[in-house]
Amino acid sequence: MVVFNYFIELFEKSDLIIEFVWFLIAMLLFLVITIIIYLKYLRSTLRRNEKSKNKLEKEFETAIITYLYAGDPDSKEISSDQLLIIEGLKKGTSKSYRKDILIATMLKLGYEISGEMAESIDKLYIQTGLKEYSLSKLKNKKWNLIAEGIRELTLFEVKEVQHLVKEHLNHPKSEVRSEMQLYLVNLFHFKGLDFLNEIKTPISEWDQIQLLEVLQLYKTQEISDISSWLKSSNESVVFFSLKLAKIYNQYGVKEELIALLQHPNVNVRVEAIHIISHLDIIEAKNELKTNFNTLDLEEQIAFFAMIEETYELADKPFILDNILNPNFEIKYSALKILKELSLDEFNSFKDLSLDPQFIKIINFVESN
Amino acid sequence: MQNTILVIRFLFFLYGFMLIGSYIVLGIISVIESIEYMKKNSFVNYNKILSSNISPSISIIAPAYNESLNIIENVRSLLSCHYANYDVIIVNDGSKDDSLEKLIEAYNLVKVDFLINEQIPTQPIRDGIYKSTNPAFEKLIVVDKENGGKADALNMGLNISTNKYVACIDVDCLLIEDALLKLIKPFLETTDTKVIAAGGVIRIANSCIIKQGKLIDVNLPKNMMVQGQILEYLRAFLLGRMAWSRLNGLLVISGAFGLFDKKIAIEVGGYDIHTVGEDMEIIVRMRRYMEELEDKPKYKVAYIPDPLCWTEAPDNYKTFISQRNRWTRGTIETLRKHRKIGLNRKYGAMGLLSYPYWFLFERLAPIVEILGLLYFGLLVFFGKVRWDYTIAFILVAYLFTVLFSIIAIISEELTYHQYKKKGTGLKMVIISFTEPFIIHPFILYSAVMGNIDYYFNKKKKWGAMTRKGMSNTQTKN
Repeated sequence: MVVFNYFIELFEKSDLIIEFVWFLIAMLLFLVITIIIYLKYLRSTLRRNEKSKNKLEKEFETAIITYLYAGDPDSKEISSDQLLIIEGLKKGTSKSYRKDILIATMLKLGYEISGEMAESIDKLYIQTGLKEYSLSKLKNKKWNLIAEGIRELTLFEVKEVQHLVKEHLNHPKSEVRSEMQLYLVNLFHFKGLDFLNEIKTPISEWDQIQLLEVLQLYKTQEISDISSWLKSSNESVVFFSLKLAKIYNQYGVKEELIALLQHPNVNVRVEAIHIISHLDIIEAKNELKTNFNTLDLEEQIAFFAMIEETYELADKPFILDNILNPNFEIKYSALKILKELSLDEFNSFKDLSLDPQFIKIINFVESN
Repeated sequence: MQNTILVIRFLFFLYGFMLIGSYIVLGIISVIESIEYMKKNSFVNYNKILSSNISPSISIIAPAYNESLNIIENVRSLLSCHYANYDVIIVNDGSKDDSLEKLIEAYNLVKVDFLINEQIPTQPIRDGIYKSTNPAFEKLIVVDKENGGKADALNMGLNISTNKYVACIDVDCLLIEDALLKLIKPFLETTDTKVIAAGGVIRIANSCIIKQGKLIDVNLPKNMMVQGQILEYLRAFLLGRMAWSRLNGLLVISGAFGLFDKKIAIEVGGYDIHTVGEDMEIIVRMRRYMEELEDKPKYKVAYIPDPLCWTEAPDNYKTFISQRNRWTRGTIETLRKHRKIGLNRKYGAMGLLSYPYWFLFERLAPIVEILGLLYFGLLVFFGKVRWDYTIAFILVAYLFTVLFSIIAIISEELTYHQYKKKGTGLKMVIISFTEPFIIHPFILYSAVMGNIDYYFNKKKKWGAMTRKGMSNTQTKN
C-alpha cells in the first residue's frame, strides 16, 4: 500500500510527458496481459479443434464405410440403411466447419478405394447435399472460397456445372483461375484445354506444370489441335503449347514452330529451337545456321545443342567457324562435334589456341 | 550546454520512437502477408509438381568443412528431398578431417572426369570430383577442392551446377522433405515479376528429435540461451522478413537455406569471398544488378513463412558471441560496400527504405545503445538522473519487447503451430519476459566487438562454430 501511494504521489507530481509514458505503460501492460490470455485461449482452442476434428473424422469415416457396405449389390437403388446414414450425415453437418471435415474425409477415403466404391462416395457427396454447398461457394465474394468450391467439384468430378466454373476464366485472382483450369483439364482432359482460346490472363509456369501432369495421367496421344495456340497473343499459351508439342511429339505443327523462330520474345524463340531439335525438324536447321550470327546468345547455345543431335559432314565449315567462339558451351559443343566429324582435324586444332579454357575443353573432349 | 543536452535527449527519444514505430508497422504488414500466404497455399497440391519431370531443375549446393561427424547423415537427408528434378553438390572445402573418405565409402563414390565452366574464379580442385556408382545416389556429386572459405565453396558449386536454380545451404542444416517444392513455387507462380531469390523460415533444432535425417518431434530446449534464440528467430522471421518481402525490400536470405536464379547469381559474379556476410551481400548485389539493368525489369526477392530448414543454434555464450560478432561484421561490410544505394532514388524501395532501415536500426543500433548507456552513466555520475523518467522509459521499452515477442508467438501458433506440447505456451511467455536479460546483453556485446574487430582487427574472419550435430539424437539443451 505504501509503495502504491508512493507511485500515486509521484504520478501527481510528474510532468505531462511522464504522465503520458505511465499511461502508455498501463496500456502496454493491459495489452500484454490480454494477449497472454488470448495466447492461452488460442492454444487451447487449437488443441480442442484438433481433437474434435479427429473425432469427427473418425465418426464420418465409420459412417461412410457403413454406407459403402450397406448397399444392395443387386440393386442400384439406395437401401434403407443407406438412407438413414445419409440423413444422419445431413443432420450432423449443419455447420460449414463440419461439412468441410466430411468432404475431407470423403476425399481421403476416395483416394484409398477405387471402382464402384469410389463412385458410391461421389454419389454420397451429392446425396448429402454437399454438391450444393460447393456450388454455393462459387458465388461467394471471398476468392479463397470460390477456389475451394471449384476444387471440391473437381475432386468429386461434378461435370455438369462447367458453365458455372468457366465464369471464373479471367478471375482477378490467379488461384481461382488455376482451380478453374484444373477443373476443366481433370474432367474434360484435352477438350478442357479449349479455355486456352479465350484466356486473357497469363498462365504461370506452376499452373502449366500442374495441367501437363494432369494430362499425362491419361495415356492418350491424341491431343487437340495446338496450332492456333502456338500463334496466340498470350505468350503463356504459346509456352504451354510448346510444352504440349514436345511431350506429345506434335510434328504436325512444324510450320508454326518454324514461324516461332521469328517471335519477338527471345525465350519463346529459344524454347522453339529446343522443340524443333526434339522433333528433329531439319527444315529449320539451315535457316538458323544462316542467321546464326544475328541470333541472341541463348538461341545460339540452343542451336548448338540441336546441332549436337543432328550434325552431318556438311556442317563442318560452320563448326570450324565456332571452335574459338567466346562462349564456353558453344566452344565445347563445336569441339565435340568436330571430334566426331573428323578426328584428324580435331587433333590438328589442339595447338590452335593458348587460351586455358580452350585447352581445358580440348583435353576433356579428347579423353571422353 | 543545456541546449546540447536537450538535443541529445531529443535524438535518443526520436531514435527510440522511430524504432518502435518501424517494428509496429513491420509487424502489422507481416501478419497481413502471413494470412494472405496461408490463404493462398491452403489448397495447393504440391504432389503434382513433386513427381513432375518437367519441373525446373535445382542443384543443392552444400559446402562442408571438417563435417566428418555428421556428413553421412546430412547428405542422406539432402538426398531425401521430395522433388523430381534435382541434384546435390557437396563441396568439400579443403577439410582436414576424413569427410571425403567417409563420403567415398558410404556412397560408393568414384572419381569422374568433369568439365567445369569456371565462370567464377575459385580455389582449384584438390583431389577431384566424385560421383556414385550406386544408382540410388545418382543425384550426388562430391567436389573436393582446396580451402577457400564458404563463399568460395559455394562459387565452386555454382560453376559445377548445370541446373536452372541453385539452393545454397549449410550442410549441417536439416531440410524438411518438401522444402525445395515450397521454395520453388514463388519462382514459378509469378507471371509479371522475375523472382531472383527466395528464402524461408529457419527454425532452431536443438532438443528436437531427429532420426535418419528427418525431424520427428519438435521440443523446446531447456537451455535458456537457446530458448531465447528461438524467440529471436520467430520475431525476425515471422514479424520482420515477411514484411520486407511484401515491401519488396528484403536484403537478406539466410545463408542456411536460400534458392537462387543461377543465371543471375553467376552474372553478378557469385558470392563475395572477401566478406563474412556473403549471404546478405549476394542478395544486395543481385538486387543492385537488377536495378541497374537498362530495361528495369520487375523483380523480387521472395520469402515464405514455411519452416523449411532447421538448424543447430549456439548453446554457449562463446560460440554465440563469435556468431553474432561475424553477423555484425557481415552487415557492416555489405552496407559499406554498397553505400551508393543508400537514399539513392535510382534503387527504388531498396535505396529509400531497406538500406536506410538496415543502416539506422541494424548497423547503428548497438552504437546508439552503447552511447545511450554511456550517457546514462554520465548522468548517474553527476547525479542528474530523473529516476521517474528512467523507470518509466525502461518499462515502456521492456513491455514493448515482451508484447512484440508474444505477438510473434501468436503468429507462429496461427500459422504453423510447431510447439504443440502442453505447457510450451507458458514457457514461451516466460521466455518473452526473460529473453531481454539473457540474450540481449550478449548481442550488444558481440555487436560492439564486431564493430571493433571490423575497424581494428581486419584479419579476423569466420571464427569457430562448434556444432554438436543433430542426427539420430536428441541434443541435451
